[in-house]
Amino acid sequence: MKNWIQVFSIIDFISVGILLTAIAMNAFRRIESCVRAYMLNSWLLSALIAVVAFLIGETHLYIASIITLIGKGIVIPLFLRRIVRQMKITRDVEPYISNVLSLTISGILVAVVYASLREGIFVAGFSRNVLQISVAVILIGLFIMISRRKAITQVIGLLFMENGLFLAGFSLTFGMPVIIELGVLFDMLMGLIILGIFAIQIKRVFTSSDLDKLTILKG
Amino acid sequence: MEYLQFVIIIVFSPLLQGVIKKLKANMQGRVGPGVFQPYYDLFRLFKKDMVLSHVTSWIFKATPYIVFTSTAAAAMIVPVITTISPFGIMGDVIALIYIIAVGRFFMALAGLDAGTAFGGEGSSREMTVAILVEPMMMLSIFTAAISAGSTNIARIASSQNILYSPSHILALSAFIVAIIAETGRIPVDNPDTHLELTMIHEGMLLEYSGKYLALMEWAHYMKQMLLFTLAVDIFFPIGISSDTGFSAIVLSSGIYCLKMFFMAGLMALIESSRAKMRFFQLPSLLGGAFVLALLSLLTYIMMGK
Repeated sequence: MKNWIQVFSIIDFISVGILLTAIAMNAFRRIESCVRAYMLNSWLLSALIAVVAFLIGETHLYIASIITLIGKGIVIPLFLRRIVRQMKITRDVEPYISNVLSLTISGILVAVVYASLREGIFVAGFSRNVLQISVAVILIGLFIMISRRKAITQVIGLLFMENGLFLAGFSLTFGMPVIIELGVLFDMLMGLIILGIFAIQIKRVFTSSDLDKLTILKG
Repeated sequence: MEYLQFVIIIVFSPLLQGVIKKLKANMQGRVGPGVFQPYYDLFRLFKKDMVLSHVTSWIFKATPYIVFTSTAAAAMIVPVITTISPFGIMGDVIALIYIIAVGRFFMALAGLDAGTAFGGEGSSREMTVAILVEPMMMLSIFTAAISAGSTNIARIASSQNILYSPSHILALSAFIVAIIAETGRIPVDNPDTHLELTMIHEGMLLEYSGKYLALMEWAHYMKQMLLFTLAVDIFFPIGISSDTGFSAIVLSSGIYCLKMFFMAGLMALIESSRAKMRFFQLPSLLGGAFVLALLSLLTYIMMGK
């Protein structure tokens, strides 16, 4: 079985899948599809952790994998979908830049990361490729936060960044202790709930969730 | 034998078109025309008289021959059933793509030549799509070319028996989008109708009739089979023979038929399950595929496989 994972380079495939879902997020305009991309990203992340846990035989990594699956793969997407339904917005209209351009920029981001992390900081861990991909996911998440107008898509960008950070830490250290993982996840859940409530409030006060409107002063 | 393998593409390309049409009809619950229908169509067109507009220049009359011969010349470079390709020294995969581009250039000129609105529309759309497709095709082929260490198609086909890595899967998916765009299949163009507002390829051929139309149609079928063969050679060349012994050729031909049937099934499946996209949404699809091709190259360089 372990041999089989090596032969079919499962780890490479899953990590490229994580990168692809993050890039695909740039092409999506419908917010439901964005949430689905995030969900897929989290599932792949959880699968990657499970595969690595199986390879090196660490029990606490299985727990981390299950926590990721339940927290990021199920609870957060469901919550996001509920917010979207409540706010009755379905798509990001009038993005700052076009689909094709944002896809190209994220491709360039990946190229920059690959070129700049060729050697050097990778000391321990299981795969240099996964580290590069995680940094690329962080940058793409940041780019999503910059390039989108709606509060809710910016939140999804933040969540992508968090997934990337998690992957970076994981690829360097084989995962932090479970208690820290739990704390981070709980923090994120709280942050998400607060951001969700904010988004709904913004929508209620300004009758739009477009963050550009926040520059207008209200007396 | 190895000198004649390009004849396979010339002779059997209408059959491949017929098979795709038949499969598509079956998937949609229709009976559909027989698989030899494209041959009958071509035969009938060759017998018919031509109507030539008196405002057209020599370009209009030369284009069918240029398109047909350039596609046939491109077919000579591609190894079909054996990798011993005597014309391999003539050019590599880059030359192949630009030989096809010569045909496309003249087709666009001929579309403009008759001076009708639909012809000009078709030409302008074809060139827009071509600009987006060509770099993506190049990038996805380069991924395979780098791992083979050569841009010669025969060498790419013989150097790798099984390709199984993230970069090749990405390159293959980008290449399939490129094939769909190049052959004018459904998310990009609808091959079955002459509905004037949506057509790309048909728009350019609208003024042709009789023998010239037959040549253009045949060249289009050839280009389709050529691109399928190229995809098969580059991305899953397993089973292609490396000598010209009788048994090796027979086995290789059988495997080649299976691969072509698989490609035809894939195209029919995509055509039956997708709706045609609006023209202005196309850059989004093709741009996405371009990023896939770019990623495949980057991933190959990073992971080394």
